[in-house]
Amino acid sequence: MSNSIPEIEDTDLIFVFGYNAADSHPIVARRIVRAREKGAKMVVVDPRKTESARVSDLWLPIRNGANMALVNAFAHVLIEEGLYNREYVESHTEGFDAYWETVSRYAPEEVEDITGVPADQVRQAMRMYAAAPNAFILYGMGVTQYGQAVDVVKGLSGLALLTGNFGRPNVGIGPVRGQNNVQGTCDVGVLPNVFPGYQPVSDPAVREKFAKAWGVDSLPEKPGYMLTEVPHLVHEGKLKAYYIFGEDPAQTDADLNSVREALKGMELVIVQDIFMNKTAMFADIILPATAWGEHEGVYSTADRGFQRFRKAVEPKGDIKPDWEIFCLMATAMGYPMHYSNTKEIWDEMRALCPLYFGATYERMEELGSIQWPCPDLDHPGTPYLYAGNTFNRPNGKGVLFATDWRPPLERPDEEYPLVLSTVREVGHYSCRTMTGNCTTLQSLADEPGFLQINRADARKYGLKDKALLWISSRRGKVLTRAQINDRTNQGTVYMTYQWWIGACNELTLEHVDPISKTPEFKYCAVKVEAIADQAWAERYLEEEYAKLRRKLAEPVG
Amino acid sequence: MEKKVRTVCPYCGAGCQLDLVTVNGAIVRAEGAPGRTNENELCLKGLYGWEFLNDTKRLSPRLKKPLLRRSRDSQFEEVSWDEAIGFASRRLMDIKRKHGPDSIMLTGSARGPGNEANYVMQKLARAVIGTNNIDHCARI
Repeated sequence: MSNSIPEIEDTDLIFVFGYNAADSHPIVARRIVRAREKGAKMVVVDPRKTESARVSDLWLPIRNGANMALVNAFAHVLIEEGLYNREYVESHTEGFDAYWETVSRYAPEEVEDITGVPADQVRQAMRMYAAAPNAFILYGMGVTQYGQAVDVVKGLSGLALLTGNFGRPNVGIGPVRGQNNVQGTCDVGVLPNVFPGYQPVSDPAVREKFAKAWGVDSLPEKPGYMLTEVPHLVHEGKLKAYYIFGEDPAQTDADLNSVREALKGMELVIVQDIFMNKTAMFADIILPATAWGEHEGVYSTADRGFQRFRKAVEPKGDIKPDWEIFCLMATAMGYPMHYSNTKEIWDEMRALCPLYFGATYERMEELGSIQWPCPDLDHPGTPYLYAGNTFNRPNGKGVLFATDWRPPLERPDEEYPLVLSTVREVGHYSCRTMTGNCTTLQSLADEPGFLQINRADARKYGLKDKALLWISSRRGKVLTRAQINDRTNQGTVYMTYQWWIGACNELTLEHVDPISKTPEFKYCAVKVEAIADQAWAERYLEEEYAKLRRKLAEPVG
Repeated sequence: MEKKVRTVCPYCGAGCQLDLVTVNGAIVRAEGAPGRTNENELCLKGLYGWEFLNDTKRLSPRLKKPLLRRSRDSQFEEVSWDEAIGFASRRLMDIKRKHGPDSIMLTGSARGPGNEANYVMQKLARAVIGTNNIDHCARI
């Protein structure tokens, strides 16, 4: 995020694009409500009437898969109506002419057929956005989980650049991150192209610095593979071993059948986790680790804040903290590795990362949270980026970026007439091994989850509310339960991804964004079928669920 | 005697701070703490998301010992850490020798383990195995 979560409250306009705060981040949703109470305006772009849409001034019910077309139309209006900040654009950006060349072809009237949003609403949204003294864009997976995703992120940044909404408090753009430490895992170099602190593996000076610190002659310069490429790399015979740490790809990745084939195709699968999960069933070796609450360290918030988390209870069983397991593995592989505690690890990393150098354990203890960049020991941290409107490029200017809209890959047809989009729900989390083992949270929702479907579609396909049904795509078929929901749009159905029986990722497809390689979880073609014998379906559900639970419990004894 | 430990919620990226309250070494409840992002507030997951630590077995059991399967059609068996690490490291080195370091892929964890564990894992990938094949679920 360019700016901080608390700043959401003090902006003048919140512009929400493909982000459902109430279900994904309830605490961020409260900030939005408080901003509204303080008088902030709000515009929401979402195919569903989310809670944010419900309480907004203006809701633009975009058609699924039309993001780039709408963002281009927004830019078109800002320029055509002269709403943009000319002085800011001249001083702090570049690429305006090429930008206009593209977005000039996206008059909102011209793209109504693609976006589904009436042109006057598009114009009204941009008049509001441009008129706000400070405006904050929040976006989520409704942007990033498409085959065209990175382009849209750059397009949204372009709107903030056109209106000068960067470089001060209460503005900017914010992807509110999903997992608690997805920001941190990026921060510490668990990416195929960068070392910790976003230092590129392709830079010889960076490689030399890390090689020296780690006591090795050299480090690999070729960027590694991305996670979503794994299935086809196994198929091509390029990958032979998979060390999976605290993830459950056999539940959470797209097109589970291809994920299972990939796991089976590996010569060696190592799983390091806290629970038995679907992925672990494919492992050759399972290494049991301590969980949150049983160990300590640092997490990064979505707004770049380092915060210490601490141990509250003693672990039970013959289990070890993850970093100790890695040290044992490294040592056994001929590279003696030893740390006494997480602080030693943190200090080693800090010394190698100019962005984080000033964020010591002691200072985190004192300040509670330190937002990077924090380059030295008396630096207070950085609540918002791009102060002075200087951007991370050699000439310091922000790039205005636009490109043409690309439609989603798998469009609905006669055989598979509906679009499936995967979403979140408030009580459960990710692959659900943690929340599903919390009694209170488990009582909120259980297998097989729900299919959110519009009333008209439910009638068309003969589905009753709460009835079990089959849903299938070209890749798979699963059982789920209808939830007739007037907040969803006709022609699209929605499922959450943590269910074992109602596993929507059996249906999703591997089509990925060319840059981020994130799959198009928000769009694939499906069909639904009512089940006449509901008593049989309920029994089948119960038996299958019990069978799966037994299968996973067995190895642990 | 109640004890309180200040920590950070392990669920979403909002990074809410909370206190875990323990009695006789077991957690009894969570309370919102004055963190920068949450200012004493918590959602349902923050308030109740610690219950899995009591190994409720509602869904799946906690792992308690290293488990090894000597062939894909045999059952998992409990083994010692020495045997587990010995097995995994030997197989990794064999594969590295036979197919090169880039035939090995690692994924980090964006969940409970934290920044230090992930730092050590990418060091294992780069300095020990010799590959940049390390990624995580930020991409999905």
